[in-house]
Amino acid sequence: MEQKPQRPNSYLALAIISTILCCLPTGIVSIIYATQVNSAYEDGNYTKAVSASKNAKTWGIVSIVLAALGWLVYILIFGLAFLGAAANGEF
Amino acid sequence: MVNFNKTIYIVLIVVVLLLALPLYFFIDPSVSAFFPKCPFLSFTGLYCPGCGSQRAVHNFLQGNIITGIRHNYLILLLVLVLAYQAILFLFNKFGSKTYDNLLHKSKMTKAILAMVIIFWVLRNIPIAPFTELAP
Repeated sequence: MEQKPQRPNSYLALAIISTILCCLPTGIVSIIYATQVNSAYEDGNYTKAVSASKNAKTWGIVSIVLAALGWLVYILIFGLAFLGAAANGEF
Repeated sequence: MVNFNKTIYIVLIVVVLLLALPLYFFIDPSVSAFFPKCPFLSFTGLYCPGCGSQRAVHNFLQGNIITGIRHNYLILLLVLVLAYQAILFLFNKFGSKTYDNLLHKSKMTKAILAMVIIFWVLRNIPIAPFTELAP
């Protein structure tokens, strides 16, 4: 029997975290790729499993980074203005 | 080089958490405009699977676990997955026999994908039992 290559990481936890933490549906894309990693690996399609694994990782990281940047920019612009207004008793 | 990059990421994550957690502890996202609203909700008027997470984090930090979970039930799924991974890791590392990871089965990941999408659809239905799923 042919030796199976090692299972590529499906980054499922990362995908779920990115889905929950940000409201960009890119997290869903990451979960879809995570699913493909496992089904391709079970089918014996190891090249596809590896590329799906890379995609799952990329989409998960992209959505987390986008969410973090958006959050940071929002807090810096609106949040601080809001705090300033609240401190001046204007709110 | 790899270690250097890893250290930077870890330091970055810790700094962000240290800055963000007090904000979420003291400011209630459901009454204050301090935190951003979900962009998906703002554009489409529909809830996304992540809506309610900020309120959930606020409630968790305040010790209201149940109220927090009711804002977004998917956090329960995340906790289950992470706990399962952690327990399995410990069992396989220190136990005498190794267990298969259920999350490596394609049926399991497909079920999780289906759960997230069904949750997404159901929480947008504005009728009685489903409104519980809304953030």
